[in-house]
Parts: sequence; C-alpha cells; structure tokens
Amino acid sequence: MKHDNINHAKAAADFLQDREQARWHDSAIWWVRQKRDMQAKQLPEWEQLRALAQQIKAHTLSRLDEYLEQFQRNAEQNGVTVHWAADAEEHNRIVHGILAAANVKKLVKSKSMLTEECGLNPFLEQHGIEVIDTDLGERIVQLRHEPPSHIVMPAIHLKKEQISELFHKELGTEAGNNDPTYLTHAARANLREHFLSAGAGLTGVNFAIAETGGVVVCTNEGNADLGTALPAIHIASMGLEKIIPKQAHLGVFTRLLARSAIGSPITTYTSHFQQARPGGQMHIVIVDNGRSDILGSDDFYQSLRCIRCGACMNTCPVYRRSTGHSYSYIIPGPIGSTLGPSRDIRKHGSMAFACTTCGSCSNVCPVKINLHEQLVLQRKRAFDAGALKPAKKMGLLAMRFLTQHPSLMDAGGKLMRKVVPIVPQALTQHSAWSRPGRELPPMPAQSFKEMWQARKENKQ
Amino acid sequence: MSSRETILARLRQNRPQGPALPDIDAVPFITFADKFDAFRTLVRNLGGDAVQLQPGETVQDIVAQRWPQHGRVADVTAANPERVTAPHDWHDVDIAIVPGELAVAESAAVWVSHAGNSQRALYFLTQKLVLVVPKDAIVDTMRDAYARVSIREHGFGGFISGSSRTADIEQSLVMGAHGAMAALVIFV
Repeated sequence: MKHDNINHAKAAADFLQDREQARWHDSAIWWVRQKRDMQAKQLPEWEQLRALAQQIKAHTLSRLDEYLEQFQRNAEQNGVTVHWAADAEEHNRIVHGILAAANVKKLVKSKSMLTEECGLNPFLEQHGIEVIDTDLGERIVQLRHEPPSHIVMPAIHLKKEQISELFHKELGTEAGNNDPTYLTHAARANLREHFLSAGAGLTGVNFAIAETGGVVVCTNEGNADLGTALPAIHIASMGLEKIIPKQAHLGVFTRLLARSAIGSPITTYTSHFQQARPGGQMHIVIVDNGRSDILGSDDFYQSLRCIRCGACMNTCPVYRRSTGHSYSYIIPGPIGSTLGPSRDIRKHGSMAFACTTCGSCSNVCPVKINLHEQLVLQRKRAFDAGALKPAKKMGLLAMRFLTQHPSLMDAGGKLMRKVVPIVPQALTQHSAWSRPGRELPPMPAQSFKEMWQARKENKQ
Repeated sequence: MSSRETILARLRQNRPQGPALPDIDAVPFITFADKFDAFRTLVRNLGGDAVQLQPGETVQDIVAQRWPQHGRVADVTAANPERVTAPHDWHDVDIAIVPGELAVAESAAVWVSHAGNSQRALYFLTQKLVLVVPKDAIVDTMRDAYARVSIREHGFGGFISGSSRTADIEQSLVMGAHGAMAALVIFV
C-alpha cells in the first residue's frame, strides 16, 4: 500500500538526490522504450493494429453491461463461479470468503495491479492467511514491504546489490553475491516450495472473453501457470473493463501487449483459463471500484481502454526521472495520473502536474488513449477542487491575471530582463532554474513579441 | 439491489457512444516466406531452439543427443504415457515431451491443449520442455493462430514461446524464472 499525501514534485526531488541511481533508472527504462520501437517497426501494420485495438475497446465500452452479462453466462456454463464486487472492500471480503470456506492457509499470487489497488494482501494477512507474491519483482517489493514502482517491472527502482542484501537476509543466499542469475534461481527454488504447498492461487486477468467466458493471463515467468495448475482453487480478479467480445480479438491484443510492454513479440506464456482443473474450483471476481463512474465521464472514460502494458510510463520523461514511488496512486506514470485523479482528485491532484504535455504517451499507447489531454483536464479539476499547494495556486492565479492583461505582461517581462542580470547570484541560486547542471539562461535583449514586431516592420 | 445489479445499472446509464466492431481480417498482416526459419531465429533469442526431424530420426534420438545426462523424463507423446494422481507428482520431472498443436512464426509460440487430465502442471514444472509439432502446423501471425485453436484440456490452453524468463533484477535477462529453463520445439 502507498502512503497517503505523496506530493509528486517533492518525492521526485528526493529521488533525484542520488544522481547516479536516477540516471540508471532513466536509461534502463528508456532502453525498454527503444525495444518497443524495434518491435513496432518490424510490423508494417503496426498503426492499423493500434487502430483495431482502439476500435474494439471503444466498441466494448459502449456496451460493457451486455458483454459482462454474456461473459458471466458463459463462465457459469463452464462451471466457474462469478462474483461481483462494487468496491475494494467487497472484493477483499469475497476472496477471503472463498479461502476461508476451503480452509486455505497459504495463497500464491501472480501479478495483479487490481489486488494492489484493493489492498488485498494486508487484508488477508490480518485474517491469518499467508500471501506469497510470486512474480520475481513483486516478491522483491513484498519482502521489502513497499509497493511496486512500475506496473510491469515492479522492482525497477532497485539495484542488484540491494536485492542481494535482501535475499541474503530473507532467503539465506550468499552475502555479496550480486549475480542476477544466481539470485533469480535462488528465488525460483524458494518459490517452488510455496507453489507446491499453497492451498489456492490468485491471478489477475489480462483479457476476459465474453464469447467463451474464459480469461487470459500473460506472464514471462510462468508463475500464474504454476499457481493455478497446482492448488485446487483458482481465483481470478478482474477490473470490469478487461472484457473483449471475441476470442478472435486476442489475435489483435496479444500482438500488441508484449511488444508495447517489454519489446518482445509475445510473453512466454499466454494462458487461457476456461474451467477449473479436474477436482478443482475456479472463481472470477468482477470488480467495479470506481470504474463505472469513470465510464460516465466524457473527459476520462477513454482511460478504461487501458490494457496495462506500461508503454506510457516507459516513454514518459517525467516518470523515467522520478520513479513510480513519487506518484501517490498505486499506478504511476501517465495512465496512473489520469486514473488516480479520477478516483480521488484531492489525494492525487499533484499527479496531473507530473507531465510536460509532450504527448509521447498518447503516441505509444497501443489503444490510443488521449493521455496527455486527459492530464491537462485533470489539472483543471485539481485546481477547482482546491487540491493545489498554496504557492502553486497563487502562481497559477498570477499567471492567469498576467495573460489576461497583455500590457502588464509586457511591462513585467521588460522589468525582469533588466532586473535579473543584476540580481546577486546568492539570490538566484535557489531558484528552480539554478540547480547543478541547470544554469539560469542569459536574459535576451527583447521579448519574443518585440522581435516579432521588428521582423514584421522589416518585411514591409 | 445486489452489487451485480447496481454495477450493471450504472454501466447501462453511463454508456458512452462507440463504433461498430471492426473487421479484424480486413487489414493485411505480415507474412513470412520461410515460416520455420522465422520461428527458429526468434525462438533462439527467447531461450529456446527449433529443429526439423530428419528421415530415420526419432524425437527421442534428438532429446538424447541434446541432453545425454538427464533425470526423470515424462513423455506424454508415447503410446501409453505415464499417469499421475496429482499434478504435484510431476514436481521432479527433468524433461517433459508434450504434443504442441500449432506454431506461430511471428512470436515463436506453440499452442498446447490436449485432452489428458492433469498434464497442465507438467508444461510448467519440468526443467526442460520439448514441444512436438506437426511440421505443416505453422502459421504467420497470432490472428491466424486464433482462427485455428480450440481449448480442450479441462478448459485450459496456452501459447508457450521459448523458456521461462525474467528481467526483474536490473533488467538482466535470466532464463528459468519459474517454468522451464530450456525449450526445444521439434517439427515432425
């Protein structure tokens, strides 16, 4: 779970204190964006593929109720139990109910941002159930008692030395052995024991298919598969926007997901679950938790097309330089910065400003969500809701006054160009433009407006 | 009202406008002149390998050549495959030989879904996975694949592409996260 009241700008400034780590984070994530580009360029139909995905999702959202009802009917015909949860609390109660009825003491979980959103782990632990996150990155952050910093690469904020130290303490690996292969295989051996002894497995859902009543889960590690093939109970938790109409549509989405997410043509495992294994039970929990409200918002409903690939954060110049932990909502980056404020503008208002409006996120999004436009609209809501810090609010009000009074703006600019060069350095060095590596630029002789007018006169 | 009714009523009330479903077959997708070659090139980058069975050779010959020293073998392509009572019984399998129904050139993925009980765990518990695929069962893209596959094994079917892997520690690619450490696709 994340702490309340994280202010993005403040948290990002703290992260940037360690320049070397910050540089590594930026370049490691940029490399994932480049791998995505290489994959996209190999397919001549890439842009048409994005358009198809956008249309399928947009169509589905316009009849979400019908497709969910169809999905439920087909799932029940397959012998699957379908549950509906209006909010996080109801989701957690349903999952606990299933586990308690079967007297399950240990649950193995594969990656699910929804259960992070719902705070499932602490809830189950309070009820005496051991929860083991099995995705390697998720396991690392679970053992560190911190939230994931990225939706696809949960431990991208950590260096191998930190993970080595953690595993030495928690799993008894050799002190000082930082080899990623050694550490990964140590976690593999440890988690195998958990897979073999767990009473139930919980997975997220990448796609739910109305036509078949089945769900699809994509992983590279195989943890969702071991967690569902061994324990007799499989619980799949899904946000209600995960639905797609037909199985054939997976021929579009499985081509986009891993290419956009990690720059691979596909994940190692793309698994289709339609029935429980012999002697087992399968449950699907369909969760609303604010989604149906977003559907009713003209400005923000498109965010429900999201397939959680993370491409928007990998390309985001702000995300790469601030880490996911600087964002107050559990989903960071551009998509989180519209979903979080949609959920609670007062709590997550600062996220809408973690954006340069460069638009790169909208350009890589495989379902073409207008992310940067949504963030601008969320800023307006943050202002209206009084979610801004007083200084930021005053600054915006002053700017609004100036832009509405052009002569004052001109006079202010002229004054600044005269005054700033003679201000002693001691006064400017703490301004936002004077940190190490960011020197205050020399003041130009003329404003842009003056240059433009001079140019017009010269032409005549 | 139950949560189901409340949620559905709100979704009905909040319906946005949307387009008709597009025809996904109307767009031309990439094709490969040599599908096997595309598959093999890709799977080698994904912790796997692919070979074509030569005349006079058997799957078992290829497996024995590749891994002369090995532990328990579970061959479910055999005439009378070994049966287990619980999926956990496969936990110490070293090499699993399983039928694959269809291969996909663009993603090096193989579709697995067959009618026997409790084979599902075997795909993921084994240390080395051997997928045996008919040589003419290879298509260009995932769209072609979805037009042909069906889910059989107690409601389970999956695409497997190469070996299990992770890059969760500093983006270093490591083969063998939870599932198979090596994958070999034999076209027969």
